[in-house]
Amino acid sequence: MTDAALPLQSEADQRAIAAIRRKNAVWRRILRDPPAAVAALFLIVIVGSAMLAPWIAPFDPYASNMRLRLCPIGGARCPDFLLGADNQGRDMVSRILFGLRATLGIGIAAVLVGGGLGALIGLSAAYFKRLDQPLMRLVDVLLSFPSILFGLAIAAVMGTGLFSLVVALSIASIPSIARIARGAAQSIMQQEYMEAGRAVGLGDGALIWRYLALNCWPTILIYMTLQLGQAILLGAALSFLGLGAQPPTAELGSMAADGRKFLSIAPHVSTLPCAAIFLVVLAFNVLGDALRDALDPKLRQ
Amino acid sequence: MISLPVLLGVLLIGFLLLQVVPTDPATVVAGPTATKAEIDAIRNDLGLNQPLWVQFGRYLGRVFQLDLGRSMISNRAVVDEIALTLWPTVELMLACLIWAVPLGITLGTLAARRRGTLIDRAIMALSVMGVSVPVFWVGLLLIQYVGGAGLLPFQGRNGPIWTPDGFLSIILPAVTLGAVFVGPVARMTRTSLLETLGADYVRTARAKGASDWRVTVRHALRNAMIPVVTLVGLQIGFLLGGSIVTETMFAWPGVGRMAVGAITSSDFPLAQGAILILAVGFMAINLAVDVLYAYLDPRIARG
Repeated sequence: MTDAALPLQSEADQRAIAAIRRKNAVWRRILRDPPAAVAALFLIVIVGSAMLAPWIAPFDPYASNMRLRLCPIGGARCPDFLLGADNQGRDMVSRILFGLRATLGIGIAAVLVGGGLGALIGLSAAYFKRLDQPLMRLVDVLLSFPSILFGLAIAAVMGTGLFSLVVALSIASIPSIARIARGAAQSIMQQEYMEAGRAVGLGDGALIWRYLALNCWPTILIYMTLQLGQAILLGAALSFLGLGAQPPTAELGSMAADGRKFLSIAPHVSTLPCAAIFLVVLAFNVLGDALRDALDPKLRQ
Repeated sequence: MISLPVLLGVLLIGFLLLQVVPTDPATVVAGPTATKAEIDAIRNDLGLNQPLWVQFGRYLGRVFQLDLGRSMISNRAVVDEIALTLWPTVELMLACLIWAVPLGITLGTLAARRRGTLIDRAIMALSVMGVSVPVFWVGLLLIQYVGGAGLLPFQGRNGPIWTPDGFLSIILPAVTLGAVFVGPVARMTRTSLLETLGADYVRTARAKGASDWRVTVRHALRNAMIPVVTLVGLQIGFLLGGSIVTETMFAWPGVGRMAVGAITSSDFPLAQGAILILAVGFMAINLAVDVLYAYLDPRIARG
C-alpha cells in the first residue's frame, strides 16, 4: 500500500505505522526470541565458514600422515591439530569444515531443486484450477512414500554417490513444499490485484511470476529452511549407510561411519562429525520453528 | 485410495532394478558353454525379446505369485530371504513403539498441563533436540558407553524377544530407534491437547466438578489422541528410515540391513525385493492407522 493511497494520514500517523511495521518485521521478531537469535547467528557463522573452508581450513583435509593416526584432541603427537586426527592422520578441524561444506551443500542443493520444483507444482496447481486435482494427487503419492526409500531406490537404480543422493533428497523435498506453495498461492489468488492484473491484459506467465511467485516466496523460503534440517539429516543418514558420499570425500555422515571402527580407542573421530550434524540441524529446526511462528500469527500465543 | 498408485510406482522401481542388472540373464541361465543360438532360444523362452511393457506385466504376475527371483549372492529365493528378516524388523519397531509412544504422550501431556513453565520448556527443548539428532549418533553413544562397558549386547540378535538373551539384545537398538521418536510424539500431544483443553466439553466437565487430571486424561486426552495417531502413522516412514540405520549399526538381521547390504553389493533382485517389502509394509501400517483412527473417533467410521 503506497502513501498516496492514504491521503488522510497525517505525518505522525505515518510515522506510527512505520514504527509498528518495523517492530513487527520478521527479523526483529526473531531477535526477540533468544534461542532463534542464537540459532541464526550460529548458522551464519557455520554456513560462512563452510563456504570459506578452502581458505580457512588450517590443513589439507585429504593429506594423511600415518604417524598422527587417531591422535586424540589435545594429543602431544599433533599439537597443531586442535581437534585431533582421524584414522588416517588427517586434521579433524579441516575435515569437519570440508565435511560441513559437503553436507550443507548437498542439503541446500536438494532443497533448492526439490523446493523449486515443488513451488512450481504448487503455484501451477493454485493458478490453473484444472491442474489442481491431478497435481495434488501426485504430491499425495510422493508424500505418502517414506523419503528413506527414495534414497534406497535411487541408490539401487543409479548407483551410490553424491549425484544420486541429491536426486533422492530433491524428490523427497518436493511434496511438502508443493503443498505449502499451493496454500500460499491460493490465498493470493483471492486478492483483487490478481483480477486487476488480468483486466489490464497480463498473460499467465506474468501473473504467475510477478504476482503469485513474488508474493509467495517468503512463505516458501521459510518452509525450505524447515525442510533443510530434514534433508541434511536424511542425507547424512544415507551417507552413513554408505549409499551417499563415498570415502575419502569429507562428508559428515560418511566421516561418522568411518570413525565407527575406532569408537573404543578414538571416539572423537566419529563423535565430532555427529555433533556437527546435530548442531546444524538443531539450529535449522529452531530457526525454522521461530520463522513459522513469526509469519503465522495464528500459531503465536 | 492412495496406496494403489504408490504400489504401482514401487513395482515399477522394482522392475527397473531388474533391468539394470549388468549381466544378461539368458547368458547366465545358458551357462558358459552355450552357443549363441542356444542363448537366443533361452532369451526367447524367458520373454526377454518382448517389449518392456509386456515384461513388466509378466513381472507383476510373478510378484503376485510371490516369485521375486533369486539373490545373486546367496542364490536363495528372495522371498525366503525376506521371510527370515521380516520378523526381526517388526520386532524392533514394536519394541521401539512400546516405550517411545507412551513416554511421548506422557511428556506431551505434562508439558500441556504445565504450559509455559520450566517443565514445559524443558520438554519442548528435548523434543526439538530429538528431531534434530542423527539416529546414528544416539546409536554410537549407546554402543560406546553402554555396549562398550559390557552392560548390554550390541551386536546382532541373540534370539526372539521372549527369550532372555533376545530381550537383552533388543534393548539398545530399541532405545536408539525410540529416542528420535519420543520428541515428535510429545510435541504433537502437547499441541493437540492444548487445543482440546480449550473445548466446550472440557469446560463442561470441569464445571461439573471433575478433578483436573480426570478432565485431562478422560475428557481431553482421548480426543487429543486422534492427531497423535495420525502423526504416529505419518512418522512410520521416518521410523522406517531410523530402523534401517539402527539395524545396520547393531547388525540387526532385519529387512533394512538386508536392503542396504543388497544395494551396496549390487545384488539387484534382493534389493528389489527388500525395497518392495519395505514399501508394502509401510502401506499396510498406514492402513492399520486408518482403522485405529475410526476406532478412536466413531464419527470417521460413520462418515
